[in-house]
Amino acid sequence: MTLLRIENLDIRYGQFRAVRDLSLEIGQGEVVALIGANGAGKTTLLRTLAGAHRAEAGTVHFKGENLTGLRAHERLARGLALVPEGRRLFAEMTVTENLLLGATSGRPGDWTVERVFQTFPNLVKRRHARASGLSGGEQQATAIGRALMANPDFLILDEVSLGLSPLVIDQVYRSLDGILASGTTILLVEQDLSRAMRTASRALCMLEGRIVLDRPMAATNRDEITQAYFGLTRSQRGHA
Amino acid sequence: MIFQIANALLLGGYYALIAVGLAFMMQVMRVINLAHGTLAILAAYAIWLLADRLDVVPFGGALLVLPPMALLGWYLQRFLLERSARGGELLPILSTFGLSIVLDNLMFQQFGADTRSLSPFIGDLAWASYELPGGIFLGKVPVWILLAAILVIGALQAMLARTALGRRIRATALDPVTAEIVGIDARKTAAAAAALATVTVGLSGLALGLRGTFDAYSGAPQLLFAFEAAIIGGTRSLWGTLAGAMILAFAQTIGAMIHPQGFLLGGHLAFLAVLFARLFALDEALRAPFRRPSQDERTNA
Repeated sequence: MTLLRIENLDIRYGQFRAVRDLSLEIGQGEVVALIGANGAGKTTLLRTLAGAHRAEAGTVHFKGENLTGLRAHERLARGLALVPEGRRLFAEMTVTENLLLGATSGRPGDWTVERVFQTFPNLVKRRHARASGLSGGEQQATAIGRALMANPDFLILDEVSLGLSPLVIDQVYRSLDGILASGTTILLVEQDLSRAMRTASRALCMLEGRIVLDRPMAATNRDEITQAYFGLTRSQRGHA
Repeated sequence: MIFQIANALLLGGYYALIAVGLAFMMQVMRVINLAHGTLAILAAYAIWLLADRLDVVPFGGALLVLPPMALLGWYLQRFLLERSARGGELLPILSTFGLSIVLDNLMFQQFGADTRSLSPFIGDLAWASYELPGGIFLGKVPVWILLAAILVIGALQAMLARTALGRRIRATALDPVTAEIVGIDARKTAAAAAALATVTVGLSGLALGLRGTFDAYSGAPQLLFAFEAAIIGGTRSLWGTLAGAMILAFAQTIGAMIHPQGFLLGGHLAFLAVLFARLFALDEALRAPFRRPSQDERTNA
């Protein structure tokens, strides 16, 4: 079943055409890795899906409903949550307050502050600490927990491992395992290719605002993805 | 001497009440509403009209006027502040300045140059006072205004710190884009904050009318006192605003003791002294809350 359908999406970032005529479908329960170099348009695409950025043209349908023109909080209310790049925590507020804010939409589900603390045990001791005083891993866990508090059907993770040590990245992904297994549909951006290939069931490669490769993880390999990443062999472009 | 201290305290209470709405908008929503004083006068006239024409006691009249004030604040945010803020940080200041001029002159056209007061409508209470040991008399109304200021500040602080609405207001103030991503309707939240602030403006209109007199152009001096108190108080907490109001009232009182014309000058000097100390001492702790995340911190290609 198609959960998210993007048709002919054009996104501008100032004068720059960040995303060009992009079409894409993501089905219920898929875990999709979005791969591409800096400036390929990944973050712009994700922010536009979440409603933080306005598209120039094209449509986004979620669960069959047209999201175009809906604001970010309205999209979250429909079950589409973003963990933004750079975490974007409310720095002067505590971990618990940040998590509680995630529940603002009031979507029903079984995520509670306590369950987030069970999922990310490293946060338990820090529950009353200000977000600004947390370590990178703790901040990332809080950002993910805050998105989960909305009980999303579709979770977008933008570079959750950015700026974290390998050990902490392992920790974050271990905690994500349970969420991955729960059947939540996930779209994630991950710079570490091996990790992306291990985590996701489908690879999407972006280059200069376009999707240049869209394959099930099992049907592709590191070389093909790397080539798509750098765009060296344009003749090999695969289209879905 | 004790008499002067007591009066300065009570005056500070009034300043705190008029400053709290302005400070709330400044600290929380990062907006300076130059129509603040004018809106207080508008509320005072509304309460006066109810009392004069319909014999509604000012306290009851205030209860009737506060809900429309909340509505006014809501729409002021939605249709003036929010829209003008898209044009840059200076535009809301200019548009509220324009609004205050329009309202001042409309009120002048409607009510003329006569000064009004609410005190004729509260009977003996206007001059009733509490007697403290040592033969000090404190007017009941000013004491109530001081208590009201403390109550309003306490309630707003508790709301910000403990309630879901308070969390949403703080989150929206810190980062409206992320607030939306987290599921907060940032526009509605800002409008709710403006509505709350404008309710306190209505209360200060009542306080002004009970304490003394007002006319159509009384808004500007009220704004000035509120602004000075809010700036002296800093941006950390509304309790700072209470302290700022007290400092302003004491500076004015001291000024008046030094020279009969020194009342306003004393207040202005205290305000300028604190302002320059802030600017030049580079007190990061005090200025940090006014900093916004820069454009590229907020959005990333």
